[in-house]
Amino acid sequence: MISLSDIPARGGSPFTRSMGLFVLLLLTAPFWLEPIGLYQYLGMEIAIWILFALGFNLLFGYTGLHSFGHGAYLGIGAYAFGLFQQNITISLWGGLLAAITAATLAGALVGAFVSHRRGIYFALMTIAFGQVFWFAAIKLHSITGGEDGLLGIPRPDLVFGPLKLDISDNGALYWFVTIVLLVAVLALWRLVNAPFGRVLQAIRQNETRARFVGYNVWLIKWLTFVVSAAFAGLAGGLFAMAQESAYPDVMSLHQSGLIVMMVLVGGGLVSFWGPVFGVLLYFIARDIIGGLTETWLLWFGLMFVIMVMVRPEGMAGLFHVLRARLPLRSRKAVGPAAQAGRA
Amino acid sequence: MIELLPHIVNGLTLGLLFALIALGFTLIVGVMEVINLAHGSLFALGAYFALATIGGDWFAGTEFGIWWLSLPIGTRYVAALAVGPLLAAASGMVIELCLRPTYGKAPLYGLLLTFGAALVVEEVIRLAWGTGEQNLTVPQTINGAFLMGGLIFSKYKFFAAAFALAAIALVWVFLERTPYGAIIKAGSHDSEMVRALGYDLSKLRLLVFGFGAALAGLAGIILAPIWGLRPHIGLDVVIPAFLIIVIGGVGSFWGAVLAALLVGMSVGITGAYAPAWSMMSMYLLLIAVVGFRARGLLGRKSALEN
Amino acid sequence: MSKSRISRRALLGSAAAAGGLTAFAGPWKHNRVWAQATDKPIRIGITSDASGQYANSGASDRRGMMMAISEVNDRGGVLGRKIEVTHIDTETTPATGSRVAERLISREDCGFLVGAVSSGVANAISQVAQRNGVIYLNTNSSSPTESGKNCHRVKFVWDGNGTNFAKAAVRNSIDAYGGKVLLLTNDYVWGHDTAKSTRALVEQYGGEIVDEILIPQGTRDFSAALLKIQQDNPAVVAAAVGGDDQIALRQQVAQLGMGSKPAWINNQQDWPDVYGLPLDNLFGVFGTTWYYGLDLPGVKEFVERYQAMYPDTSMRVPGNVFYNGYMATSELLKAIERAGSTNNIAIIKELEGHVMPAAERMQHDDAVIDPLTHQVQQSIYLATANDEPRDENDMFKILTQSSPQDVRDEEALEACKLESYDETPTFDA
Repeated sequence: MISLSDIPARGGSPFTRSMGLFVLLLLTAPFWLEPIGLYQYLGMEIAIWILFALGFNLLFGYTGLHSFGHGAYLGIGAYAFGLFQQNITISLWGGLLAAITAATLAGALVGAFVSHRRGIYFALMTIAFGQVFWFAAIKLHSITGGEDGLLGIPRPDLVFGPLKLDISDNGALYWFVTIVLLVAVLALWRLVNAPFGRVLQAIRQNETRARFVGYNVWLIKWLTFVVSAAFAGLAGGLFAMAQESAYPDVMSLHQSGLIVMMVLVGGGLVSFWGPVFGVLLYFIARDIIGGLTETWLLWFGLMFVIMVMVRPEGMAGLFHVLRARLPLRSRKAVGPAAQAGRA
Repeated sequence: MIELLPHIVNGLTLGLLFALIALGFTLIVGVMEVINLAHGSLFALGAYFALATIGGDWFAGTEFGIWWLSLPIGTRYVAALAVGPLLAAASGMVIELCLRPTYGKAPLYGLLLTFGAALVVEEVIRLAWGTGEQNLTVPQTINGAFLMGGLIFSKYKFFAAAFALAAIALVWVFLERTPYGAIIKAGSHDSEMVRALGYDLSKLRLLVFGFGAALAGLAGIILAPIWGLRPHIGLDVVIPAFLIIVIGGVGSFWGAVLAALLVGMSVGITGAYAPAWSMMSMYLLLIAVVGFRARGLLGRKSALEN
Repeated sequence: MSKSRISRRALLGSAAAAGGLTAFAGPWKHNRVWAQATDKPIRIGITSDASGQYANSGASDRRGMMMAISEVNDRGGVLGRKIEVTHIDTETTPATGSRVAERLISREDCGFLVGAVSSGVANAISQVAQRNGVIYLNTNSSSPTESGKNCHRVKFVWDGNGTNFAKAAVRNSIDAYGGKVLLLTNDYVWGHDTAKSTRALVEQYGGEIVDEILIPQGTRDFSAALLKIQQDNPAVVAAAVGGDDQIALRQQVAQLGMGSKPAWINNQQDWPDVYGLPLDNLFGVFGTTWYYGLDLPGVKEFVERYQAMYPDTSMRVPGNVFYNGYMATSELLKAIERAGSTNNIAIIKELEGHVMPAAERMQHDDAVIDPLTHQVQQSIYLATANDEPRDENDMFKILTQSSPQDVRDEEALEACKLESYDETPTFDA
């Protein structure tokens, strides 16, 4: 089986062909979404989940820490955004900052508990913490609105120096989400292709060896957890704007499991772009198969089971293998993973 | 204190029921080192198969069906107690066959595959039995209520708790006092040795998974009259089961039983003060226990840690 | 946001496929009818729950809407235009409700949304509907906040709410059984709001709340709560527990024989939640807006129409949920006819303050769509289990009826701030 480290790295400049394609797709989406039978809101939701999935893959694919409770930080971000608007002041940047801060703090706390764990125990602990947050979101009725969620969250104006833009419309909000996503993708790209990214992969491959080489493994795992939670929080803040509400639903084990499924099916274990494929596949399948049959999760679940059985590297791995079999093309456009394979 | 007594009784019965759910789960984890997230789905399947057996769904309209429905409910219920687990075992074996390509890889893949299987089973249940709540009828003798110390208790809950106790004892006897149990236990310690002794490891795994699934199905039949029966009950059930396994220590039989009683008691006693928060207590218990003892109460070293 | 969406809609609306409006099947299969040569069909999005806690009621709700629509289509539609529907399951989940509403409006081009049982889902949908100016009928969610704090200009609420039902029930019960009341509350908005108004009424009538027990949604084992009730020993338990939770609660209360002592007030009893249950599960008194056994003209024919249209459903007579779905949809279509256009603001103005004669409503009093809260003010009936049923369907015995003004929800009136017409985007559907 191949892994992230087996794909030759590019490092350096993030302006690869894959990145170009990604940017192009995002920027042109509003023009072709409706003609192909999709809609703007779906595009926005997909962009937000891509952000969430890419941040999650830092933990899941790069470091090999299998969190099954990551929906919690998305939810915390969403609630923090909403509570900031409703209790402090209506501000876009303030709300997003609150979302990131809250998720970071929660991630820091949980990270401190789970970072000396590995393997399945890590996964189990993250499930437990995820459930605690989910449960609290439902039970703290006076703060979160309970099962009905926190309603009436505004989409504040985008204030940028003297510039003030109304982004309350789905179309305008999409552009804002896209810009945030692009900035985040660049940041993540730099992060995983920097030496830090290679340390993460080293930890995934052999934690003990990484420790002996002299890295403070606990600290790095903790940091990764926190950074990943922060991205989830940012995505949560945007999600609260998209939905104009925050609901406990995204924090449930079911949803946290789905993000794992998306990342894995897409090929997050072998490619930086894996999570993008996974999110696209999931949301578009949900919309299209979900339109044809009420039991669409049956087909998605079956596909997932078969994928784990025969091709656990996911779609990105599949592309990689196909491409490797084609003699003409160079392999460099596939996966921008770091050079840890040589380490 | 006297006021608390009924809540403690309630917690104890709940603990025994939790133990019944966790039994098959711990067996599979112990022997195969697979976290079977489809455990809850097998639980649900067992109960739904029992529902179909009692209602005679498969032969509806035929002469046999009419004769079957004319039998007393007690007879049909006992038949369901056998049919449900058997069919759950068969379903479990199918999952085990799917799991084979994941052996030897990271335990994550087993967990993911069973998560996918859980989704599939849930949807199949929706297709076969509809989305609504179903009602599993039980014989009149174990239904109803009785008075104790001025308070009314449900007869069925005590029946279920007694049943759970018996099941725990039987499984223990099976594992400790029979040659099959010895092989299974050996398989969980040293699979190479089992193979060297001439046992077919893949057949052993198939049977163990089937046995675990049958226990899940049995738990489903016993618990459905208390917790109700709906397609997504699998996910509701698998969470306490896995919490118990982790608290008790992965693969430890008595650890699971002990943890189940602890969880049941904590839910029962917090129920006396804050019923709305009582389910939260089990997560806090997990964090407290695992925070101090990484391998749970009675856990031993496992490949799952890597 | 732009005031007009006409041009975009006109561009997208030219498609029309074949197929009659027959039995409804599938999640959102298109039930298209022939579009008039001159005009496109009117599209209605159905947002009833098809899975989750309220799947049962959602199905009943949807049958009501479909019967109203098929009757109108059989008469040639509205303004010469046929009605088309699209249904997407909201899964009794607010987040899904939000997305479903977005999709129905922007992709399926629905000019109207109908359907809700869960108040959480209704809230989520109405936010999206208000932003787009799309009229939304909340058919069956009875949280008082739906026509109070969370009211919207585009949203109309058709069911009686928790306060209405509590007003009908609380005073009678305190007089009959005494003032020690325990609240058993489903832990979400409808439960909390209903419990709040019950609490206020109990105090107003000189009773006392001894305790409140919160029941998480999805609870199946009520033993802890029932133990607590026995220990507190109240005279009356006022329960606001809904859907599948309530079915489980009823079974367990019946099993323990606690149905007659204490006395139970179940705020509202939706027909799909109790239909087919053994009668001993149906203890206590409860509110409803309609019953098929009401001795009023038109009821019999209504039941016959239901049975002719749905010969295969296990529920052999229509209940309150079906009734609300039917009435809401049929009043919407009448309002479009009266307005003479599909302009949303014109239709909203037709609905606001509209008086529906008792004969049409098959209730004892005229009902009115309150222009200030958008809730239908209607007769509320208090019922209990029928000890002398005519047949297996005849489960309720109607005890009293209250006229709309006696059970009016004054608090909702204070809490509701409708958006102005100008703040509401306008378009022609």
